[in-house]
Amino acid sequence: MINLSKLIIGLLLFKVWVATADADYSNLFIPQIKYEGGHSMPYPTAIDSLLGQIERRTSIETNRGLTQIALSYPKLYRYPFIYMAGSRKFEEFSANDIKRLRNYLSYGGFLLIDDNSSGINSKFDISVRKMIEALFPQVPLKKISRDHSIFRSFYLINRVSGRKQVSPYLEGINIKGRTVLVYSANDLGGAWARDKLGQWTYDIVGGGNRQRQLAIRLGVNIVMYALTLDYKKDMVHLPIILERLKRNKLP
Amino acid sequence: MKTFIDLFDLDSGKFNEAGLNFALTELFYVWILLLFVSPLALWFFWTSLKRIHSPFRKALLISLRAFTFFLLILILLQPELEFRKSHTLKNRIAILVDSTKSMSIKTFPSEQPRIDFVRQAFEKNQGVLESLSNIFQLDYYSISDQIETISSLGSARRYSPNKTNTDFEAVFSKLKTRYEGKSLQGVMLFTDGADLSIKSDNISSELKTLLTGGDGPIYSFQAGTNHMFKDLAIEEVDAADFGFIHQPVRLTVTIGASNMGNKNIPLVLKDGDAILLSHVLEIRERENRYSVELEFTPNVLGKHIYSLTVPLFAGESVDNNNRIDFQIKVIRDRIRILHLNGRPSWDSRFLREVLANHPKIDLLSFFILRTLDDDVVSPTSELSLIPFPTNLLFNDYLNSFDLVLFQNFSYKPFIDKGYLTNIKNFVENGGAFAMIGGELSFQEGGYAQTDIEEILPVDLGDEPQLFLDESFDLQLEKNQFSHPILQLEKESVANSIAWENMSKLNGINIGLKPRKDANTLAWFIKGRDKYPVLVSWRVGKGRSLIVATDSLWNWNFRQVGVGGSGRYYNRFWNNLINWLIDEPGTRLLKLETHKERYEEGEEVLLRVSVSHSNYNPYAEAKVLLTMKTRSGDMKLTTLKTNENGEASHRFTPVEEGFYTIKAKTGTDKLKLEEKTEFSVFSETAEFQKPRVNETLLKRIAEISGGNYEVLTKQTDFSKVSFKNPKIEIKTSSKLVPLWDNWWVYGLILSSLSLEWFTRRKSGLS
Repeated sequence: MINLSKLIIGLLLFKVWVATADADYSNLFIPQIKYEGGHSMPYPTAIDSLLGQIERRTSIETNRGLTQIALSYPKLYRYPFIYMAGSRKFEEFSANDIKRLRNYLSYGGFLLIDDNSSGINSKFDISVRKMIEALFPQVPLKKISRDHSIFRSFYLINRVSGRKQVSPYLEGINIKGRTVLVYSANDLGGAWARDKLGQWTYDIVGGGNRQRQLAIRLGVNIVMYALTLDYKKDMVHLPIILERLKRNKLP
Repeated sequence: MKTFIDLFDLDSGKFNEAGLNFALTELFYVWILLLFVSPLALWFFWTSLKRIHSPFRKALLISLRAFTFFLLILILLQPELEFRKSHTLKNRIAILVDSTKSMSIKTFPSEQPRIDFVRQAFEKNQGVLESLSNIFQLDYYSISDQIETISSLGSARRYSPNKTNTDFEAVFSKLKTRYEGKSLQGVMLFTDGADLSIKSDNISSELKTLLTGGDGPIYSFQAGTNHMFKDLAIEEVDAADFGFIHQPVRLTVTIGASNMGNKNIPLVLKDGDAILLSHVLEIRERENRYSVELEFTPNVLGKHIYSLTVPLFAGESVDNNNRIDFQIKVIRDRIRILHLNGRPSWDSRFLREVLANHPKIDLLSFFILRTLDDDVVSPTSELSLIPFPTNLLFNDYLNSFDLVLFQNFSYKPFIDKGYLTNIKNFVENGGAFAMIGGELSFQEGGYAQTDIEEILPVDLGDEPQLFLDESFDLQLEKNQFSHPILQLEKESVANSIAWENMSKLNGINIGLKPRKDANTLAWFIKGRDKYPVLVSWRVGKGRSLIVATDSLWNWNFRQVGVGGSGRYYNRFWNNLINWLIDEPGTRLLKLETHKERYEEGEEVLLRVSVSHSNYNPYAEAKVLLTMKTRSGDMKLTTLKTNENGEASHRFTPVEEGFYTIKAKTGTDKLKLEEKTEFSVFSETAEFQKPRVNETLLKRIAEISGGNYEVLTKQTDFSKVSFKNPKIEIKTSSKLVPLWDNWWVYGLILSSLSLEWFTRRKSGLS
């Protein structure tokens, strides 16, 4: 009986997913990865809030809302950008899921992983690194350099931040010249999340509103990179970008 | 000698010489040994004769022993008498006479062709040559870039200069091969020295080696002079065989000017009747040769025959070296694409990835990252955004692109409406344009009643239309199935299967009506309604196309999700771009020759194929072929295509030069025209460097140890001198060994016996 009710709820949810996915098909929609163990959605409003900021600040059209999908979800490939967040240890993905995620990333998908634990070497961090090692055993997770397009895809950013300042850099995986996975340890979701009234849910640790703005900018840039790749490294942009970087001592 | 030969019982008629041969070399070490051992042995022998008191006997015994030693040494020497018949040969002199066309150029003031100086010298020196022929064997050759034997002195006098290329390096190389192992004691060279292969007056190291490696001197006799020689010539155009479209092509032109005075002359470069550039060259009395660098930018693909001309002035000695035609094949090095995106989206991201990773594409992308309504919450200095360089793109550099792509892009407020006219002109003049759908395209992008609408293959109507957010299967138009854009697989059945397995699309721009002469390749069919999705057509000289959806990326990423790959997505875009930029394989009328260069008198094969606008073969199509040469235009023939839409024509061009063949036909209200170009060569290159090259002739004589002389009425061949070493050859020989017979061994035995007898008689053992 319990299983039946789960199935009915599941089908209803699935109906919601389909409706969300098919409407405004070309708009940006970011589902969040659901996994076993731990807490796969510490900040339910974080992505919606980020999409709202993207909608407000850029020309990208978004479909706002919250959807969690498992890696086994058949329509995973409808969403080239997925988000994975957490603060606790989680169960390892099955071999099938790992293979599926590897293919997804190798053929055009993008994954943003956000450690919301706000601690160094957190249990979530350990689980993530284990997962990434299983995902790309030949390609290590590396620091993303400051001249990467992520730091100039929309805003000119020279400081990596989030709700907390745990790590001064982002890490990522590159496949054939494209960064397919970005990992932040600074609790980006905590800086993005808002409550129902539109107020910021969590206070920033350390840097105040400026730090929050930087976390939002970083989110915008990561999404912009996923959609435009190395566009900002085209020669036509370089002189102006370099001139601005040189002239302004950016925060 | 006769008696001596008879002594050996040989036929004295067969031999006229005799000689003695020894086997010295084979027994060299034995000889050395004998030189030491023999005197020592004789000395010991002499000491053993102490007991003999008779000086006569002593002398006899030592003589006999010495004689025995002598005979033994003789046997070791293996002497042979050689009877032989031998002849004395004449040394050879090669007389080289230039037979190229430049020898017909006149020398002033006598207006005597250069050839006449040679004839005149031969006639005057007939006696000298005859007496020379008594000492040497004179071999006569006519030379160009080949050497040909002339049988007699008479032939040399009568020869006519009609060869097309002077090349001394080739001549002396062939001469060396011909006289390998023969005694060539010298060369008499009669020429004007106008060697086309030699740049400036420097002799190549290869020619220098050939000249110094010969056995005898070369006497160079210069036919004609440059005195009062008036000529303006395009001596050489140095250009690559191919150039790249929209990229500068460089030419290095060498102009020769003799006695032209001080004047400024125009160099004019033309492609057909169109003047590409004009350059003024300052000619000065003291200079004979000028090097000019020219540069032009070809804007049309294919083979082009360019003509470079300088004016023909009164009194010029040569009148056909003032124009030179040359061919350059203009190809595409890179496909230059301007890609404008109205907003970042998955469709634009996957397309950009295809374009940016294509090895032949130079991509310039622009994404509109923010609109005027967006609040970036930041000063501009903290943004990576750059101003949209409208004027640069749509005014200054528009023609340098091959394809302009508008992807979900609304031109307002980024592009002034006036620039849309530039895009229209760009396409009508041969460029390519494609509009990819989305909410900001077509009517929503404000393109109705603009110049862009005029070049689109669809009519946008008057009413604004919505973007229909619906999922659909693409329906291909059956009669367009041969269209190159739709060829995902070469084989028809595999192609059908590939299309059937393509993912669904989502979202379509509606309200688009295909134009009458456009080709709708694919539809979204919903009940009775048909919405065009993929439409192409030709506009002026260019091509344009629309894709009325922003979900083609489904064929890439989503296709992977259902177990497929993005291979067909890539191929589709490759096909689409190739069609848009008018790659030769996507043309409806194709015309080609089986060669690019023909020799004079060679048959030319022309092949034609015609397709309908949907790329199905056009049978029974009438194709008019016309031909353009320097002489003018003429109709060649009218061909009718077979069931495969193909036809061919063979003909033999009557004259040398460059030919342009044009084919004209019509298919589905389209007027099709294609051209191809080829050249027929009967070299007139000899007149490109018509001046007498006295420096070269002097150098040839100097290097080889000969003399240089200008041919005049007083030229005297008796001044030439050649070494004449004796050369003999054996025709028969007979060897008679002098040691390998019973006489020698008998003498040794007799000598030893007599010695033994004398010793016994003298009381020795």
